[in-house]
Amino acid sequence: MKSSFTYQRATTPIEAVAMLAQKGAGAKIWAGGTDMTLHWQQEKTKPTVCIDIRDLKELDYIKVERDAIRIGALTSLATLERSADQHHVLASLSKITKLMATPQTRTLATVGGNLCNASPAADLSPAFVALGATAMILGESGSREVAMFDFFQGVNKTALNGAEILEEVTIPLPSDGEIHVSYRRIDRTVVDIALVNGSAAVSVGSDGVISKVGVGLGAVAPIILDASDASAELEGTALADVTVGKLAAVAATAAKHAKPISDIRASAGYRQDMVEIMLRRALEDTIKNHGGTI
Amino acid sequence: MTVLKVNGRKVEISDRGDRTLADALRTDLGLIGARVSCSEGECGSCTILVDGLPQTSCLMLAQQAEGKNITTIEGLADGENLHPIQQAFIEEQGFQCGFCTPGFILSAKAFLEENPNPTADEVSIGMSGNICRCGAYPYIVKAVLRAAELMNAPAQAAE
Repeated sequence: MKSSFTYQRATTPIEAVAMLAQKGAGAKIWAGGTDMTLHWQQEKTKPTVCIDIRDLKELDYIKVERDAIRIGALTSLATLERSADQHHVLASLSKITKLMATPQTRTLATVGGNLCNASPAADLSPAFVALGATAMILGESGSREVAMFDFFQGVNKTALNGAEILEEVTIPLPSDGEIHVSYRRIDRTVVDIALVNGSAAVSVGSDGVISKVGVGLGAVAPIILDASDASAELEGTALADVTVGKLAAVAATAAKHAKPISDIRASAGYRQDMVEIMLRRALEDTIKNHGGTI
Repeated sequence: MTVLKVNGRKVEISDRGDRTLADALRTDLGLIGARVSCSEGECGSCTILVDGLPQTSCLMLAQQAEGKNITTIEGLADGENLHPIQQAFIEEQGFQCGFCTPGFILSAKAFLEENPNPTADEVSIGMSGNICRCGAYPYIVKAVLRAAELMNAPAQAAE
């Protein structure tokens, strides 16, 4: 049986945290609620109290600053989709958003909700991991920061402890040069979740040399994987010297992190093969976005 | 009781927390134009407008709608005068069985407000959150394009 719950609307982020602390384990946060309402109907979660935070304006913003892009947790996917002209990284995230769910769901669903649902196949998460983003978390004793790759702790499990909510995703921007991010996914059909997905973020300094490479992989483990340690072959390479071989080598190294399973959507072997190819293509996309030729 | 603003009128629904907006619209208010099919936010047949934006009412709690302007298919016509999108769907036969039609029309309304002069491809993407099991898609695209013409007609006449 579906659980019965009462509904409460928080009027400030701090009040939401206080409500969570007071109501205990049965209290669940509804951001847009598109996952929560579904999980409640499917009896995957049995809340006793719904704490609705959807309309907290304090957490609904996209700010482009010199050293960072700040996305409030309650920014709707529809707002992110329409932020493309504010920054080229936002343009890339906007493209990802268009792949997610339906226009109707994107109206209600939020960036923070998508991250807190912690689906291994979530579309935005690999990009945030590749970009080296951090999660700003609000609790009773104030705010704390957690690296995005540490935010995901398991299927539907995050670093949020007890009475905490996600406030913001902060994407650092390089002090010198530019960062570009790309996303690839292999899917069976639209509106379905990815069979395999992954993101690459490449920073190139004003000297034309690759300074940093970030890689996030989804749907090949219970959490989003940070495979950025595969980047050694590219970091320090001039953009002009990038070859398909080097990108393929990074992709091959990164793909070793993958521990895919077989399920209704794809076999483990297929996923393992695809993750490498898909990642090489994602890396090619970022190099091209930097104006490089391969 | 919780007060909602639906189709420009204040109405009351039960203040129960654990029910969807689709359920409240259909059961408490008799607005059965919001059709519930998949209940998972995939088919779009329960689409309504919340402050002018399309949302699937099966994935929204009724209480989340408090303080917002809700538009259902029942609120689109002006008395006996159909909304131009409704008119266009009839003219172009943008349906077969009609079950999904309210959802398509409301998605089209929000879409055309953002993009009043769309191409056929843009219409297809704009309507991507609605599924027609009869497969009337080519007619639906024509209907939305026709609706754009009808809605732009007064403005063009004034030029």
